[in-house]
Amino acid sequence: MTDYVIRFKLRQRLEHIGVMSLFVVLCVTGLPQKFFQAGWAETMILWMGGIDRVRWIHRAAGVAFALLTFTHLTTAIGMVITGRSSLSLVPTRQDFTDAIVTLKYYLGTSDIKAKFGRFDYRQKFEYWGLVFGAVIVIVTGAVLLFPLLVTRFLPGELIPAAKLAHGNEALMAFLVVIVWHIYNAHLSPDVFPFDTSIFTGKVSRERMEHEHPLEWAEIEERRRRGDRKVWVK
Amino acid sequence: MTHSFVLSFLLMVGIHQGPARAPGNGQDLDACLACHSDHSLSVTLPDGETRSLFIDRVVFERSVHGGKLGCVDCHSDMTDVPHASRPFKTRREFTVAYYEQCKRCHFANYSKTLDSVHHAALARGDSTAPLCVDCHGSHDITPPNQPRSRISQTCAKCHEGVQGTYAKSVHGKALFEDQNRDVPVCTDCHRAHDVGGPREPGWRLKSPEICANCHTSAPLMKKYGISTNVMSTYLADFHGMTASLHKSQQADGGAVTALCIDCHGVHDITKVGDQASPVMQANLVKVCQRCHAGAPKNFSAAWLSHYEPSWQKAPFVYGVKVFYAVLIPFMIGGLVLQILLHLWRVVVNR
Repeated sequence: MTDYVIRFKLRQRLEHIGVMSLFVVLCVTGLPQKFFQAGWAETMILWMGGIDRVRWIHRAAGVAFALLTFTHLTTAIGMVITGRSSLSLVPTRQDFTDAIVTLKYYLGTSDIKAKFGRFDYRQKFEYWGLVFGAVIVIVTGAVLLFPLLVTRFLPGELIPAAKLAHGNEALMAFLVVIVWHIYNAHLSPDVFPFDTSIFTGKVSRERMEHEHPLEWAEIEERRRRGDRKVWVK
Repeated sequence: MTHSFVLSFLLMVGIHQGPARAPGNGQDLDACLACHSDHSLSVTLPDGETRSLFIDRVVFERSVHGGKLGCVDCHSDMTDVPHASRPFKTRREFTVAYYEQCKRCHFANYSKTLDSVHHAALARGDSTAPLCVDCHGSHDITPPNQPRSRISQTCAKCHEGVQGTYAKSVHGKALFEDQNRDVPVCTDCHRAHDVGGPREPGWRLKSPEICANCHTSAPLMKKYGISTNVMSTYLADFHGMTASLHKSQQADGGAVTALCIDCHGVHDITKVGDQASPVMQANLVKVCQRCHAGAPKNFSAAWLSHYEPSWQKAPFVYGVKVFYAVLIPFMIGGLVLQILLHLWRVVVNR
């Protein structure tokens, strides 16, 4: 029997490191700009060398983030088209059922636990939240970076609207990461203190049986049929 | 600074002879006027100028010092009769040497002048730099702000061009045509004794505060139907944010950002409703183009003209604001709730 499965390929692990570092840089240089009238924000901006430098770092990190998102999405779409990737992240009707079953279980009105496949509804929610959020901040960020170009074709009111949307979307992403992602990856009793799988790529067999029973059953089934492509070592 | 030291030295040795007299004693006036009421009394200076030494008793007695000061309170070195010869080649040299006489009583205002652009010019050796008496007069001093428009006219003695521009501005017209006492005169922005200007370090970035002095005052602005949000809406926007952070980091020479005066003008500020106003929506893009070369027609609408977004003004911007004001608490609240439920279930299971 095996002790762990490889859950994330190297490319996915690197993508996580990339998005994580850029997210930190963008929040550290971006949120003080949104709240610049607060004392802490001004202190941070001055500490980083003034608003002109903070803006420069934020824009450079934003362009890198846009490139990373573009690469991720085109690669993902390409892999789905060529059949090298499953559609395991696409939300289905089952996810809504799972969410209701889970909430009932949490509330104590039912003892039935939802059984999850490769990605549970919370993980899909976070992934698609990140993708949609990324598209919004990238598009609005580009509007703010090129206001002269944008207003050649579109109304000027779009600029302040983009500014509000950019800051608020980023604030929401920051809060979701602080509240939800930190809980699920660090503070939840299921993984405390640190779910290392996105860095090592590995998940223990016990956790697979517990957290992704449907995927684990599928892996077992494919191994019995002699499928060598299954990510098991 | 060296010049003021030289001046002080001159005063100490040359002028402060005799015992200090208590001001408020005008008894010497008659004694002095025994000679100085003569219209023909004059002195010819080494540069050839003939200076009348006639003093008009009526003018002096009507001045603020009339009945309060005597001649030697200021002319403290003129106690000997006949007066000894003075080393001044020109009338201006005399004025400069006497410049510090006012400080014996007016010390606070005198020390403020040391921080002025005028004193900086004097210290550079420019003897045309204005001294106390150039603005206030000498034997004929009357309150400088009566009427208030007199202040601007006093500055116009030298700053004629600026005064002409100011007189045509919304502030200047109200001052001269309507005798309005609310509008700023020169000294409200540039200060009276510690006179400053755009060459003063940090002046540019401090200038919005000058405008805000009046334009954030609710009782004052209510009289004219002007919004007091002009400062907060400016600060909340990109330019205002840059300006306030540059000011915090004292980056006067940093990246350029638009201040009040860059769009509205300085001495030539016009009423925003005027067809000629540069900040009329129809004219505004030309103002934008001064910095944003090639800005298209739509670009100026990116600035919401000091309005807070609302359903009436900038409904799209306001819609985005409302959308996130609802979505963020809903989203984060929901996630926190699910975390709490999860933790509760974990505790119950144990």
